[in-house]
Amino acid sequence: MTEATFTTGKGAQAPDPAAAPRDIRVWDPLVRLIHWSVAAGVFVNAAVTDPEKQPHELVGYAILALVLLRLVWGLMGPRPARFTSFPPNPLAALRHLWGLFHGARGVHLSHNPAGALMVYNLWATLIGMGATGIMMTTPRYFGIEWVEEAHEALFAWLMLSVALHIAGVLLDTALTRVNLVRAMLDGRKRLPPQGPAG
Amino acid sequence: MTQTPFRQTADGRRAIVLAAVIVLQAVTAVFFVGDVVSDFLHDGRLEDLHMWIEMLAALALAGGVAFLMLELRRVLTRLAALDRSMRAARGEMAEVIDGFFTEWNLTPSERDVALLVLKGIDNEAIAQMRGTAPGTVRAQCTSIYAKAGVDGRAQLFSVFMEELLAGES
Ligand code: HEM
Ligand code: HEM
Repeated sequence: MTEATFTTGKGAQAPDPAAAPRDIRVWDPLVRLIHWSVAAGVFVNAAVTDPEKQPHELVGYAILALVLLRLVWGLMGPRPARFTSFPPNPLAALRHLWGLFHGARGVHLSHNPAGALMVYNLWATLIGMGATGIMMTTPRYFGIEWVEEAHEALFAWLMLSVALHIAGVLLDTALTRVNLVRAMLDGRKRLPPQGPAG
Repeated sequence: MTQTPFRQTADGRRAIVLAAVIVLQAVTAVFFVGDVVSDFLHDGRLEDLHMWIEMLAALALAGGVAFLMLELRRVLTRLAALDRSMRAARGEMAEVIDGFFTEWNLTPSERDVALLVLKGIDNEAIAQMRGTAPGTVRAQCTSIYAKAGVDGRAQLFSVFMEELLAGES
């Protein structure tokens, strides 16, 4: 257990355990189930249900429930799912993006700082959609123009956000060689050999 | 080197089923609450027995969801611990170490530094190998010990020794 165990003394070489790919569990089943249910729900409400009919409202309620559930899980779930593992920090997000374009390839065991901002944005937008949607069905706000417009504007924002979200996932996957989509499907991030140095 | 997939262990399957039930119940609970609220907004009469029963049902559902979430967290913690001792028993210390590092929420660079610390290399040498200042390594170590809840190198070792001994018994 001394320096002599190292055959090469150069650079930031990671020691043997990092010399093979490592699978690390990040996303628990609840996080994954919520994610794909929300994505499916948004797709259904955007493209399938008739906004004037009841199924649209039911699916909307379900999405809202899923997001609220995830927020509670963010307080009490396992490490990677907790808010404390991906605090909203615009400065860190900028630093992360800056680093990406200058060759840094840090792997994160929760959301990366830029992804974290996007995640909070997606949750807020979904809650906004649910709230304005419900308002439209109450006698008090029924037929009031700005509520309907807000619902539509939020939807446009949601679509833009989702497009950026998916682009970000693909970009991160291409750069760090850690398949994020696979991690959201089976829960595990496979870190490349030679532990990340960032 | 790979971790056992969830669905191949009893606890893993339990976690998946729990997650599914939690999702279903949470969605149902929100429908119930929504229904109670909209009933109340349309013709809110608090004397209405029907409404109180619905409200109770909604509360019971929400309580059930909270209970199941606590249970899921327990199962996940147990899974992580079980995984660790199995690996220790098989002599896969690298995975055991990885498990602890994840539990402590170490950043990737902290993981590298912690691994070198466990290899018995001193801060000076670690700084040299990683091409960083010794002050950086010291700060990283402080953060590692804080996250692991230990007060130094020796205690960090003992965390892993305990696991190794437990795995052999
Ligand atoms: C309407 C569609 C979608 C919405 C609203 C959405 C929303 C979200 C949210 C809120 C998270 C954070 C998950 C959490 O911490 O609980 C997330 C993560 C993630 N999403 Fe989506 N998503 C959508 C579609 C997709 C699609 C189509 C893909 C696949 C390409 C995808 C891949 C991912 C991945 C890989 C992550 C984890 C990112 C990371 O490792 O940091 N999402 N998404
Ligand atoms: C978060 C999920 C939701 C999504 C993605 C979504 C999406 C949409 C879209 C794309 C439209 C059509 C807007 C247009 O006319 O251009 C719409 C309309 C509408 N939504 Fe939603 N919605 C969601 C949640 C809800 C909820 C929870 C409710 C009510 C409980 C609701 C009630 C309505 C109503 C009443 C309209 C009709 C507005 C009109 O008069 O045209 N939505 N929604």
